[in-house]
Amino acid sequence: MDQPATTTGLRTAGAAPVALSIHGLTKRYADGTLALEDLNLEIPAGSFFGLLGPNGAGKTTLIGAVCNLIRLSGGEISVFGQPGGSMAARRMIGIAEQEPNLDKFLTVYETLLYHGGYYGMDRSEASERAEQMIDAFDLRAKRDVEAPKLSGGMRRRLLLARALLHRPRLVILDEPTAGVDLELRHELWRYIRSLHEQGTTILLTTHYLEEAEALCDEIALISGGHIVARDSAEGLKQSFGVDTLEEVYLRTVAGGRITLAEGLEEIAGDAGPAGADPVDDGQAG
Amino acid sequence: MNPLPPVDVEPHPWRGLAWLTRRECHRVLKLWKQTILAPVISSLLFILVFGVSLGDSIAEVNGFAYEIFIVPGLIAMAMAQSAYSNNSSTIFQARNDRYLDDILSAPMSAWQVHLGYIAGGAMRSLIIGAVLAALALPLTGAPLEQPLALALAVLLTITSFGALGIIVGIYAQSWDNQSFINNIVILPLIFLGGVFYSVSRLGSPWEQISHLNPLFYVVEAVRYGFLGSADVSPLLSLGVVAVITFALVAWAQFLFSTGHRLKP
Repeated sequence: MDQPATTTGLRTAGAAPVALSIHGLTKRYADGTLALEDLNLEIPAGSFFGLLGPNGAGKTTLIGAVCNLIRLSGGEISVFGQPGGSMAARRMIGIAEQEPNLDKFLTVYETLLYHGGYYGMDRSEASERAEQMIDAFDLRAKRDVEAPKLSGGMRRRLLLARALLHRPRLVILDEPTAGVDLELRHELWRYIRSLHEQGTTILLTTHYLEEAEALCDEIALISGGHIVARDSAEGLKQSFGVDTLEEVYLRTVAGGRITLAEGLEEIAGDAGPAGADPVDDGQAG
Repeated sequence: MNPLPPVDVEPHPWRGLAWLTRRECHRVLKLWKQTILAPVISSLLFILVFGVSLGDSIAEVNGFAYEIFIVPGLIAMAMAQSAYSNNSSTIFQARNDRYLDDILSAPMSAWQVHLGYIAGGAMRSLIIGAVLAALALPLTGAPLEQPLALALAVLLTITSFGALGIIVGIYAQSWDNQSFINNIVILPLIFLGGVFYSVSRLGSPWEQISHLNPLFYVVEAVRYGFLGSADVSPLLSLGVVAVITFALVAWAQFLFSTGHRLKP
């Protein structure tokens, strides 16, 4: 395996304020699976940060640890200087999880209204904000429809609207465009970009390498519960002396065992018959 | 529409609890046929069939007509079961569909989440208890002798069974687990706790064995509140129910505080 650009998630230069700081994070599940091992990562405030890795690499576990959704086995997390899991830290995070986990008893409007309430908003503020998000995510026609009756794309919009409703400083998007059509994907990209321009720090996990390359200032590659490389997309390509992020991905997370040609061949095989887009299939690892 | 910049606002400490309570009540009212109407009808049928229809052929129990004697126990049973089943199902569903994550990641403390869920089951139980009392008392002529003792007994009953529902909802691996606990543990213990008979009429050793049944004290505490008399002292029945409530609430709070079984 080639030497990665940065073999740790910690940055050494600059005094930029840190949005998310993770030190020595370890998570071992009850069945003995070691999902994260002594992981270190710092994400500067205001950055658009991508986290790439294959299934089982530890991305969702890392996000769960930051969002108070898993119990840590070891390590420390802080969010804008506040201890991870504290009320102040939780208030500053908005998360859109990979699987649509929407309350089946609530309509679109109620989902947003109650979320605002859980985050400490009063009724008028939560209601006003819910209506804003309904318009922003083009959910007006479905305002009074319960979550189980929404299409997949609409549920994805609602998840994002819910994550952003309380105007968090750190937004975590776990595969936000998985399974959505191209039009909606670009629409979501536009919104997330403008959110970032307003000063929100974004942590994005995705299987779509072109998505990470197009959106993210910096990318970290995670494999086997460790950060194995970290840099800008260009920096990663230069460090590995390759032309594409896919090749970096294959050399790092696959431990250099798979070449790009082999990887693409494998992807094409997984994706089924001819014409399948290997990247869109989300099997780029 | 352009997004707004992020803001830092200190969340109001009580609002999360208030909204979670409201959400739980919203669910109860949305499913009112299942959550309220069905248990009211089934309890009323017990009162009508066992009390009003058969009451004349059964001698008085502890100085009360049979249809009067069974009313407090049936109300206690309906309230306890509804607090339990409400909380076990709402927690299990939230875990299963993973929308519990929206609660766990929100800036709410463990006790606020705990109290919010207890409140949902409590509201459902209180509605059922109030409707049953409003129908059964005029129908049977049952008195309301000790309203303060009754209020305390009801508070402890709905809190303890609400906490038990939370615990089972957190541990449950399937819907079957919850109905198993209700059908195999709670229901038999309530029936054997003297809902339909006075335990003092049982011969030895059944009377003593019945005193080992914790649900016996729930029935007796509520019965004292309505009738002003019971098989055991109200201090003993309320004391036992208070200890049970404390233990179950502490257990549920431990689960919320540590994330045990709630978070991997």
